Amino acid sequence: MDLLYKIFLEPFVQMGTAPDLLVQTLWEGMVGGMLYALIALGFVLIFKASGVFNFAQGIMVVFAALTLIGLHAQGIPAFVALALTIAVMFALAWSVERIVLRPLVNQPDIILFMATFGITYFLIGFGELVFGGDPKTMITEELFLPKGSWDIKMLGGFVSLQKIDVAAAIIASIMVAVLSVFFSKTRIGRALRAVADSHKAALSVGISLEQIWVIVWFAAGLVALVTGIMWGARSNVSFALEIIALKALPVLILGGFTSIPGAIVGGLIIGVGEKLGEFYWGPLVGGGTDSWFAFVIALIFLMFRPQGLFGEKIIERV
Amino acid sequence: MLYREAGQYKTSYQADQAVFPLLQDRVGLLVILFVAYVVIPLTGNDFLINAVMTPFLIFSLAAIGLNLLTGYTGLLSLGSGAFMGVGAYACYKLTTYFPDVNIIIWIVASGFVAALVGAIFGLPSLRIKGFYLAIATLAAQFFLEWSFTRVAWLYNHNVSGAIEVPQRTLFGVPITGPNATAETRYLIVLTIVVGMTWVASNIVHGRIGRMWMAVRDMDIAAELMGIRLLPTKLLAFAVSSFYCGVAGAMMVFLWYGGAESTVFSINQSFTILFMIIIGGLGSLLGAYLGAALIFVLPIVLRFVPPKLGIPVHAATVEHITFMIVGALIIFFLIVEPHGLARLWQIGKQKLRVWPFPY
Amino acid sequence: MRAPAAGDQAAREILLSMENVSLSFGGVNAISDVSFDIRKGEICAIIGPNGAGKTSMLNVINGFYTPRQGRITFKGVARAKMRPYEAAERGIARTFQNVALFRGMSALDNIMAGRTLKMKRGLLWQMLRYGPAMAEEVEHRRVAEEIIDFLHIKDIRKVQVGRLPYGLQKRVELGRALAMEPELLLLDEPMAGMNLEEKEDMSRFVLDVNQHFGTTIALIEHDMGVVMDLSDRVVVLDHGVKIADGTPDEVKSDRNVIDAYLGVAH
Repeated sequence: MDLLYKIFLEPFVQMGTAPDLLVQTLWEGMVGGMLYALIALGFVLIFKASGVFNFAQGIMVVFAALTLIGLHAQGIPAFVALALTIAVMFALAWSVERIVLRPLVNQPDIILFMATFGITYFLIGFGELVFGGDPKTMITEELFLPKGSWDIKMLGGFVSLQKIDVAAAIIASIMVAVLSVFFSKTRIGRALRAVADSHKAALSVGISLEQIWVIVWFAAGLVALVTGIMWGARSNVSFALEIIALKALPVLILGGFTSIPGAIVGGLIIGVGEKLGEFYWGPLVGGGTDSWFAFVIALIFLMFRPQGLFGEKIIERV
Repeated sequence: MLYREAGQYKTSYQADQAVFPLLQDRVGLLVILFVAYVVIPLTGNDFLINAVMTPFLIFSLAAIGLNLLTGYTGLLSLGSGAFMGVGAYACYKLTTYFPDVNIIIWIVASGFVAALVGAIFGLPSLRIKGFYLAIATLAAQFFLEWSFTRVAWLYNHNVSGAIEVPQRTLFGVPITGPNATAETRYLIVLTIVVGMTWVASNIVHGRIGRMWMAVRDMDIAAELMGIRLLPTKLLAFAVSSFYCGVAGAMMVFLWYGGAESTVFSINQSFTILFMIIIGGLGSLLGAYLGAALIFVLPIVLRFVPPKLGIPVHAATVEHITFMIVGALIIFFLIVEPHGLARLWQIGKQKLRVWPFPY
Repeated sequence: MRAPAAGDQAAREILLSMENVSLSFGGVNAISDVSFDIRKGEICAIIGPNGAGKTSMLNVINGFYTPRQGRITFKGVARAKMRPYEAAERGIARTFQNVALFRGMSALDNIMAGRTLKMKRGLLWQMLRYGPAMAEEVEHRRVAEEIIDFLHIKDIRKVQVGRLPYGLQKRVELGRALAMEPELLLLDEPMAGMNLEEKEDMSRFVLDVNQHFGTTIALIEHDMGVVMDLSDRVVVLDHGVKIADGTPDEVKSDRNVIDAYLGVAH
């Protein structure tokens, strides 16, 4: 009885009596969810254009951020370092295409998926070897990113918004808009979608797979860099982020693997859900529930709606 | 010419259905067992036995477990580390409540607990495949890992949050805890691993193994042949988790002597997955080869360069290991998706005709 | 042309009866209101132009698709919904248009996999692979070898089927279906992509299966020569509708069939 009370009543009473806390929690959840969505966006880009489920996206985030910090630490001015990092991400995209994807064209998806485990581990080892394994601080001021917070009085208390989070939301929105236009309006965007449907068919109508893959991995690399900067500004940059980045996977389950809006909505649902769950119900089971919440939601989702929120039912043929 | 089947006629289907139809293979196996049971315990030093052979065998068993699921049944799992943890914690609780029952019985019994948990988390496999399933197994990984930290009952409310292995004996000889010698523990691990490998080999060569492989290769055709997908997949999850669970219990009780939840993290799952990718998906031999390569690689990197006069830091070794493992995975997926085990097959074919080219 | 089977068509027992079966995918009708019977011991061909719903019909028969409406009676038992493995348990086997072998397994293992339903020893015996489990294994190996003999594929029994040429793969697939000892065997284009010689071999196997084992066969085939030679009865589908049903001779001279195949101005 007491337990039922704690599960079904107390959290809502808490929400009602301290609405400012609720708003604060929702905001935190949305910011966290936005970062998941950004990582998921990188996944979606690559999946749409190559059918590859890129497990390494999370690591690319860390790798991009570490490269930026590392270059700056060598005394290179911030914006030059940023440009160089973009060049590094292009080199990465090019090498991935040349070394990993090209020999694996037309292999089963699961083989390509496992190959990205290889990329992940290689990048972890390489990144730590070059930049060291200790956590680093993101160069926010040098990139003119805002610091501090706005405290807004509301609902009988106040809600604190970090300026960097607001900036992140704006930058992310711009990026998503640009990518959507790129995908739907440009010639390359259409070619990308053709490649995603079938490698062979795309090749047969004269689309260059190599070119498309380099472009799309580079785009994912840019998304990773932006994500890395935003995330790094909130906490330290280290390979521990890898574990958190895995939460982009349940986001994809919810949103579907090919839908940009899906990635965003999925990211926000997961982000807000895990924050609310942890804040109001977490203490009942000892806390730390956000380590698995997203995955269990995805698991339940998979059992009842395997095609995701926006996906269509798949008809199997023999 | 060394390795030929010529002249070895099989006169019954029974002989032809044997796991090792060739004499050379059977002799080879006996030699390996002799080395493992007699030569290594008698001549090996503590480092070889405790830091190389014991963990190698334990990892091999876990890799066999995962290979039954991923290599044979085609279900990719990223939760094997957590299922190892289930075995370890189950064994710990069982021996806490029933200290008088022999620990070896509990080590094996803890596999059943892992099997049950594995089967529960295998339920989504009816409807989803491929990387969707991989993500579903991540739910098992993170949820179980969380339980190992937050459910204090599992580690008997120890302040440290870790489990510590009590001393248990077999015929008066200590086999777990600080007083057990490396040799004793090694021999127990060896026996369990050999026995369970034998069982795994029997399963995959019979009806159940064929059902698993049928589901892996063409699930629709398998179902139209009367193979029920859900029970078949759940059985694969259960047996696989059983193996991982026993490996986890042995890891804590016969190797580490104590453990925290971090031992069973996602990285453990990846390590084991990499072993079977590099060793060979769908091959029991591959599980051993992969475990040997992944486990021995860092040891070699740590000890060989100093001998050559090149000093390396422990951290550097770790980073280079990551890079090499990553590169090897890509290499094997591109060049030989059946891994080291396939290379072994090719080598045998070469030996068959040696010294002639073909 | 086959010699008329003993007794005549009408006297034979009905094995499978399809009554007013309709199937649709998201509003598109794949099969509409089709009825026909398959009688015990006959070879029944289902023909029709591409997209006529032939493969969908086989998929309905063995439970892979659930029809929107209609009644299917197999061996006197009507069913509404049936899972594919239940169809297999009740004695329906099948081969596929695009070979659906277990590519990673040897030809022998593929055929042994076809024996799965007949093998009963549980996990414990399987773990030991000794005594009853081994005896069972050997017993079924013997059956598998008979099928291997029958199909003349002795020399490839230990070869991984993914490496076999197409014609042999089709043969192994037939062997796998035969291993189930089915009462009704569904063959989806068993001779597609074969040369004349291979087609003759395959036709011989189909006839032998029908005559020696008494297996009822429903087959989809595009080669009219093969269809007319092999089958006792022909069902013609066009755009998901049955347009003719009868002996090869009747069907050959049917106006609707000629129109469907040659096209006609409406």
